[in-house]
This record gives sequence, structure tokens and C-alpha cells, in this order.
Amino acid sequence: MATILLEVATPDKGEVYAKEINMLITRSICGELGILPKHARLLTELIPHAMRIKEGVGETQLFVSGGFMEVTPEKITILADSAELPDDIDVERAKAAYKRAEDRLAKKNPEIDIDRAEAALARAKARLLVKGVHMG
Amino acid sequence: MANLQHIRRRIKSVKNIQKITNAMDMIARSRFNAAREALLSNLPYVAKTKEIMRRVMGQMRGREYEHPFIMTRDDLRANVERAEGKFLFIVIASDKGLAGSFSSNVFKEAHDTIEYDGTGDSTSMDDDGDDENFHKKNFDALKGVKPAPSRTQKQQRQMSATGSAAKAASHRGGGGTSGGGESREYHDANYIDGVELITVGRKATTHFKQRGYNVIKSYHGISERPDYKYAKEITDLVMERFASGEIIDVTLIYTQFKSAISCVPDDVTLLPIITDDYVKSSANLKEEYIYEPDVVSLLDKFMPRRIATRIYGAMLHSAASELSSRMNAMSNATDNAQELVGRLNLFYNKVRQAGITNEINEIVGGANALE
Repeated sequence: MATILLEVATPDKGEVYAKEINMLITRSICGELGILPKHARLLTELIPHAMRIKEGVGETQLFVSGGFMEVTPEKITILADSAELPDDIDVERAKAAYKRAEDRLAKKNPEIDIDRAEAALARAKARLLVKGVHMG
Repeated sequence: MANLQHIRRRIKSVKNIQKITNAMDMIARSRFNAAREALLSNLPYVAKTKEIMRRVMGQMRGREYEHPFIMTRDDLRANVERAEGKFLFIVIASDKGLAGSFSSNVFKEAHDTIEYDGTGDSTSMDDDGDDENFHKKNFDALKGVKPAPSRTQKQQRQMSATGSAAKAASHRGGGGTSGGGESREYHDANYIDGVELITVGRKATTHFKQRGYNVIKSYHGISERPDYKYAKEITDLVMERFASGEIIDVTLIYTQFKSAISCVPDDVTLLPIITDDYVKSSANLKEEYIYEPDVVSLLDKFMPRRIATRIYGAMLHSAASELSSRMNAMSNATDNAQELVGRLNLFYNKVRQAGITNEINEIVGGANALE
């Protein structure tokens, strides 16, 4: 089975993931994308979500908190603000972040940066989804 | 005869200083390890961003494409000719001293860059194959701009610089008060009007404020442990000012960490991005990118990230350099203190011995006199 190299890098942790994979299912700001080897060149922005990485028969998930993805026929490069494997996700922290963001949005205080709160909410939601925790 | 008590006190104070420098050395050492770790884990990200940028810009080249931050060198030349904007320099140095010549090296580089008039050798490292060191190239391009009645900022700066340089030289020759040392003079007054600065590190802020530069923003307390969020803040500020035309050129000056014993100040142009410099990559790239949703909105998002990444990377480089410089300086100081203590001890013993000899002589002399 043909493979494609997936590299995920973050500013703080360096290369989080670098492996030959069979398929990547990811979500860009334009919608869900499945990427197979020999994909055409592509540059797009990702939203916070859990990517699904298929290698062989197995499938792993990797959370990315938004960023950019560049695809070439041989390689997928993802530049994310942060990226976490399911085991590294702190559920309690994500829950707390979720509540905080929700509270902020509910208050409708003009001083609160709505975009930022919404981004935080989306990140927390995506993190929790990876762990199978569903919030409202 | 030297006083024994004085010497004893001196030895004690040197020993105390040695203890302090030794402690600072160890602190710097442990922080340095953390800083180096942070730098190393940032490197792949920076490299990848750069790679993508290079590929995208390689495609941009020669295309009719309107984006305020991207231009060809001809555009830049035309732009500088009419623009009123200032030049912005971001200087990254340290909060604290006691790091050898770390800060002064950065300032020297900064002054060299600010005063660079397209004639002398640029101190930037253009030879390492980094095609993003635009600064020199941009200046070289601007040199060709003909002097018009409405001279550009940069040219005005050049003109007055050469004028006052001559004056300063003659002044020095006449007065001879400066001692003819190695120190060179900076012609700050000629640049202040056309230059704005963002400083990271207390030392940088005081240095440039003292010289009357317009420091529009400064960050303190983050030089040893930089945070991405500050890099983002700087980027937002810079992009906003650039977009509004207040500034037309952004240059970053920082210390590049090469190894624990070699840290070299470097300057890098962040904005505008000149497509001419990406010629190499376009040659071997025939396929076009698919951009989702479209080029302009994607680049609008990608460019700030690229610049923030560069600034953050530079901060990390600077932090590692600062700490390694401090480490070196402090371990040297500790060694010197050790040597000094040894010499003082020797001197102390000599003085003590001389005192004893003297006393014996007196006693013997006294006894002889009694006989």
C-alpha cells in the first residue's frame, strides 16, 4: 500500500509526529479532507479538530489546535499551534477551558474578545471529542 | 608595609564575589539547558514554515499579484521613492547585564544595520545560503534610486550621515580628547527621525532611549524565557503599522545561537517580502498549488504566522545566546577570582613573614644593644 509522509510540527514541541501513513482525514476551514498518497499540491488552513491518521489496519487520532497544512505528492506538513496525541490530553483542563469559554460567551460582555473565546471553545471541544467526552 | 588586615579583608571580598559569580554561572547553566531545549524544539517548526514560504513565494514570482506585504524589488524601489514611512527595527537583547559582550554586540550590529548606507560591508551573514537576509540586498537596490528634490528617508539619512561623519572625524582630529580608542561613534541624530524601534530586554530599551531613539514598544522580563504570545503581539503591531504605511521596512536584529561558544548577531528583514529572492525554488517547481479557500485570504493568515515564528525563533536564539554568554562570562570571572585569591594569599603570607622577620630583627637588635 502506498504511503505518504506526515510531519506535524509545533513551535514549542518540535516535531510531534513524523511517520509514513496511508491516509489522513483532516478538517480545513473549507470542510473535511481526505488525503491519500500522491495528492496534488495543496495549502490550506486547519481548524481545531482531531485528525484521523490511518496506517495499515490501525487508526490513530491526533488533536491539532488549528494551523496550516501543506500537501505535496510525497509529504504532508502540518504547522500547528499545538498538537497532542490522545494520551497527552488533559481532560480536566480541557473541561475547565470549555466551561470558561462558555461562560465568557454567555456573558456577552463587550470587553470580551468573542473570537478568542469561540476559538478557545472550539479547541476545548475538539480536545474532549478525542477523549470521547461530549459536552452539551 | 601593607596592612595585614586590609589584605585579609580583600581576600574575603574576592572570595565572596567568587561565590556569587559561581552561583550565577550555575544558574545560567541550568537555564541555558532549558533555553537550548526550547530552541531545539522550535527549529523544525521554523524550518518547515520557511520551506513552505519559500515554495509559495517561488510560485508568486513574476505573477501579477497584489498583496501589501509582498512586492518585487522594483516595487520596493518605487515605493521608497514616494513613501513617507519610517524604518522599524526590532532589537532583541537581554534584561540583565553580566553576560560579557552579549548586549554590546547586539547594539553594535543594530547601529551598523541602522546606519548601513549601502556602501560598507554588511555584517549580516549573507553567505550561509539564507535567501531571506534581504537587508543588504534591499539597500543595494535602493542605492540606485536617483536623488530627487523630495529625497527619500533613507537617502536623507545617507547624506547627512556622510556629512556629519566628516565633521566628527575632523573634530576628533582637532580635539584628540576621545583618546583614539577602538570605540566608534554613532551618528544617532541623523537617524532618529526616520527610525522606530521595538526593543526586547531592558538593556536594549535603556540603550536606545538614552540615545534619543523613538522606542514605540518594549518588552521586559521575557528575554531569558520568551513566550510565543509576545512574538504574536509584536507581529500584530508591526503588521498593522506596515499596512497603514507608517513603516515601510521591518528589520529584526538578534543574536543567532550557533554553539555554546559562538553567538553571532544577525539582522533579518521581515517586511516587505521580496519575491525576487525566491528565484531558486521556482525553477524546479512546475506544479501549481491548490489554495483553499484562496491565495489572498490564506496568505493573510499565513504571513503573520511566518513573521511571528521568525520573531519567536529569534527570541529563543537570543535567550540561548544570552545565557551561554553569561555562562562563559561568569565561569571566566570565577576562574579569575580564584587566581586573584591565590595571588593575594601569597602576598598576605609574604607580608606576614616580613612582619615576623622584622619583629625578630627588632628583638635581636634590642638584645644586642643591651649587651
